[in-house]
Amino acid sequence: MAIQKDRVRFNVGGKIFETTATTLAIAGRESYFAAMFDENWDLQTNPAGEYFIDRNPDCFSILLDLLRTGELYIPPNVPEKLLYREALFYGLTDHIRSAKWGQFDGNRLHPLKSVTGRAPGDGTAIRASPDGGCCVAHGSMVHIYDWMLEEHPPINLDYQRVNDAGWVGSGDPTGLVISTCERLGRGQGGMGLFNSTTGELRYKFNVTHENVVKSYTAGALCFNDGCNLFSSCKGRSNEYGIGVWDQNTGQQVDFFYEPHGWSLGDADKLQWLNGSNCLLVATLFPRKDNCYISLLDFRSKSMVWSWSDMWSPANSDDRRVRDAIAMEENSSICVVNEFEDLGFMDLRRESGSVRWSSRSRLMKGKMPDEPCYPKLALHEGQLFSSMNDCISVFCGSDWVLTSRLRRSFGGSICDFSIGGDRLFALHSEENVFDIWETPPPSIV
Amino acid sequence: MSSQKKRNFQIEAFKHRVVVDPKYAEKTWKILEHAIHEIYNHNASGLSFEELYRNAYNMVLHKFGEKLYSGLVSTMTEHLKEIAASVEASQGPLFLEELNTKWMEHNKALQMIRDILMYMDRTYIPSTHKTPVHKLGLNLWRDNIVYSINIQTRLKDTLLEIVQKERNGEVINRGLMRNIVKMLMDLGPSVYQQDFEQPFLDVSANFYRGESQHFIECCDCGEYLKKAEKRLNEEIDRVAHYLDVKSEVKITNVVEKEMIESQMNRLVHMENSGLVNMIVDDKYDDLGRIYNLFRRVSNGLALIRDVMTSHIRETGKELVIDPERVKDPVEFVQRLLEEKDKHDKIINLAFNNDKTFQNALNSSFEYFINLNPRSPEFISLFVDDKLRKGLKGVTEEDVEVALDKVMMLFRYLQEKDVFEKYYKQHLAKRLLSGKSVSEDAERSLILKLKTECGYQFTSKLEGMFTDMKTSQDTMQGFYESMGHMLSDGPTLTVHVLTTGSWPTQSTTTCNLPPEILTVCDKFKTYYLGTHNGRRLTWQTNMGSADIKATFSRGQKHELNVSTYQMCVLMLFNNADGLSYKEIEQAVEIPTLELKRCLQSLACAKGKNVLRKEPMSKDVSEDDEFFFNEKFSSKFYKVKIGTVVAQKESEPEKQETRQRVEEDRKPQIEAAVVRIMKARRVLDHNNIVAEVTKQLQSRFLPNPVVIKKRIESLIEREFLERDRDDRKLYRYLA
Repeated sequence: MAIQKDRVRFNVGGKIFETTATTLAIAGRESYFAAMFDENWDLQTNPAGEYFIDRNPDCFSILLDLLRTGELYIPPNVPEKLLYREALFYGLTDHIRSAKWGQFDGNRLHPLKSVTGRAPGDGTAIRASPDGGCCVAHGSMVHIYDWMLEEHPPINLDYQRVNDAGWVGSGDPTGLVISTCERLGRGQGGMGLFNSTTGELRYKFNVTHENVVKSYTAGALCFNDGCNLFSSCKGRSNEYGIGVWDQNTGQQVDFFYEPHGWSLGDADKLQWLNGSNCLLVATLFPRKDNCYISLLDFRSKSMVWSWSDMWSPANSDDRRVRDAIAMEENSSICVVNEFEDLGFMDLRRESGSVRWSSRSRLMKGKMPDEPCYPKLALHEGQLFSSMNDCISVFCGSDWVLTSRLRRSFGGSICDFSIGGDRLFALHSEENVFDIWETPPPSIV
Repeated sequence: MSSQKKRNFQIEAFKHRVVVDPKYAEKTWKILEHAIHEIYNHNASGLSFEELYRNAYNMVLHKFGEKLYSGLVSTMTEHLKEIAASVEASQGPLFLEELNTKWMEHNKALQMIRDILMYMDRTYIPSTHKTPVHKLGLNLWRDNIVYSINIQTRLKDTLLEIVQKERNGEVINRGLMRNIVKMLMDLGPSVYQQDFEQPFLDVSANFYRGESQHFIECCDCGEYLKKAEKRLNEEIDRVAHYLDVKSEVKITNVVEKEMIESQMNRLVHMENSGLVNMIVDDKYDDLGRIYNLFRRVSNGLALIRDVMTSHIRETGKELVIDPERVKDPVEFVQRLLEEKDKHDKIINLAFNNDKTFQNALNSSFEYFINLNPRSPEFISLFVDDKLRKGLKGVTEEDVEVALDKVMMLFRYLQEKDVFEKYYKQHLAKRLLSGKSVSEDAERSLILKLKTECGYQFTSKLEGMFTDMKTSQDTMQGFYESMGHMLSDGPTLTVHVLTTGSWPTQSTTTCNLPPEILTVCDKFKTYYLGTHNGRRLTWQTNMGSADIKATFSRGQKHELNVSTYQMCVLMLFNNADGLSYKEIEQAVEIPTLELKRCLQSLACAKGKNVLRKEPMSKDVSEDDEFFFNEKFSSKFYKVKIGTVVAQKESEPEKQETRQRVEEDRKPQIEAAVVRIMKARRVLDHNNIVAEVTKQLQSRFLPNPVVIKKRIESLIEREFLERDRDDRKLYRYLA
């Protein structure tokens, strides 16, 4: 009897399964099985001693196997989507996810698949969501995909051009902020927070100048841990600069006006630096003729560090900064030019020069017809740089090139994003995006 | 920007949606609603979990999540209103019981409802930013039950009343209290804080304010503290049994503030039972209690420390300047040690060996020991006493303990050089008279002084020991090589003392008896023959002699006397009576010494081998001395001490003081030169400060003396005054 006690018999859609309470316990507190075996329920078996569940038996067998072994094996005759739906029913999606892909490591990435979109024209931005999904901004539409790469209803913004998008993060997994161009004469545009599953607009982020709500064009976006949202803003008259909002209430809490002779409102990139409580703002060629990189301290309303190439001699056309990223541990800013040379600036020195580590000679002459501007990303000490149709991974204190990610299909990469332990790369030509992930740790 | 209707749906899956029964949602909800009713009515055994979960899943899947959620809210609210009514209706003591029972039932029901609605909790609720089922159930309970007008105040009052009952010594149902308080905590920290904790703290503050007033009037300090401690422990116990752990700090703060802090000064200074009385009576328990309680409030320990410090200083001052006590140095030091032991024990047993208390004790001792300028001398005398006889028959460990205690007193001395001076004198006497009990103990103490004050301090003392050892070897050599020439003359033992290592005494010669002189000269010849280029001077004032004397009736005695006494006695080999003048002429001993020596030979009772005429206590220059034939003693060996005050006499004291001052001069000068060599230029105040710092391990130099030394150095062109700023000195290389 002692052995019998641990055994559990299920009748799922007519098929009998036998397992143990120990295996079911692995499903966790938030699962169907935990609820079912809650001691408050006076559970009844049918006369054959089985618990009946009115669900698909094939999927149940896969999921039961997942609980038994921790591994996911989907036979070809079972559609993934069906399995995911069943996993959702039983509350086992987290188990599926951790069985499907492991912790992110730039040097162990494998391509999962390519998703073809249907939007006309070039993509603007791709943003990974914290749970492994993503959103893709094309022109005036934002397409949303969940972690199963299931597409949700797209969000359109009254057909205004989208400049950037960003996920609010763990506190609100469905919150998506979208920034758009201003539509002249209608007082529309700016930024809004949307529900990514329903596409509903929760609220708009307004810019007020002297207590008057102004229409504006919102550019690059950035969030910090303190629930603040930053965006570069261009208004009709004075409203050039960086706006700050409380992402929970949508209220504007601060505005950093653009100083004369500098550029903030056109910024391509914003990055919050946790250690120094500063915001990196970079305005880059070709949006402006010159590059402007600065660190803003909102507490003292001051620009604590700045660099611009308008101060350096005009000879270096090939040394144009195309993207910048701050690396706090090293107290430096990494920049990249259009030949994928990496350059470094010391944040501890006021307006230092760029120290280039040249690799361009290797690249010269191999330029494709339609080049894409390089982009940079940093993730857990690994530096990623996209250039044309591939992404390079740099590691270590000297930023040694360790991996290259390349798929031939889709042309140059115009944007990429890392999140939810996945890397998403958006190609410009064919409106395709690739998903790269690290395989789960092997069981054997 | 966007509006709802303009959104274009592009989801394939919904294009072929099956048209569902329009009443589907309503029907399904009815099933679930019924189930919720059954759950609340304890009738869940007939329900099928699988069916209910599937129904709830289907409602969410078919976009009826909103209906499901709002249905849940209204059904649950309905049930909670019924529960509220039944709780309100409960009478008196049953109120809490009923509330607790219903709360348990609600929790169970909530868990089951959450089980069947788990799918909604997981998918629908996060995407719509609604409150999850469990939290919703708690919020509804809070709003419908705990915040109900007829319950909220009644609940708070009931809880506070029960706490008060317990404070008054009644036994309460702690389990029930724990459940209800836990309920408030489960409903959120703000509910617990607002509806219980804050009122509880307010009521407690009032209660303890009153109680402390009452206690302070009718209890003595010790009793009061016992009561306060008991109350404090009761509150800590209460928190452990049925309150939130975070409340412990808050409620103990209330007790500390009302029962200790507000009465702190009054308690410490309470007449006949305050802190000073506890210290005087060694009430370790009470002292421990006052320490532990006062430690909890700010400035509590500082208050105890201050009172203790002033008490120790007061009693210590009395001790060291009391003329009665100063009479006997050994007793004096013994009292100091006892005082120290007493307070050490208090700090150890009652004050948790608190470092700040130890420091206060040390600074107090330092303060009052130095109030008496003779302390260094007395401590050295105490050591002398111990090393002469005090340590006889005592184990090695006990010797160590005793010496350590002396060292501790030594540390308090500011004038360590004065101690050194006396110590040297006393040590010399011990060594030369062979009175030291244990060489190990002597060396051990010197080692301690060395670790405390450094090599310099003890090098001369160690030199004295070396001399003693060398002398032994020398004497052996002397008798080996010269023994055959000495025949049966007197046996001579010579200690060859290195000049400088020993306390210098003005060389007072005397005429040695010819028998002795012969041997001495032989020794001198021998010694200078083996050691080239040395000079020997006889320190007759430091020697001793054993002589045999025969008295009437053939009684023989061996007399142990000083060299001077021997010289005098030897004169009586040839004469029965001599006048003072005759003696003085014959021996040429300095007057003061001679008088002392005669006094001890003629006036000490039981030791009077001479007879003086006229009989009196003091020796005058007209006295006549005779051999006392009638002298008798029970002992064969008779030790004839010198009449010499153990303590120094006033002029001797002056002399020692002067010598100390003299010795300090070069040390101060050396310090000044050392400092100036490093700094090159320095102003007067800074020099004084640095010199004091450098020398304080030996003595506290007087600023006036330092100034004089600086002036002397300027005269000798070690330093010069700056031409522009007269306060600045420059070092001249």
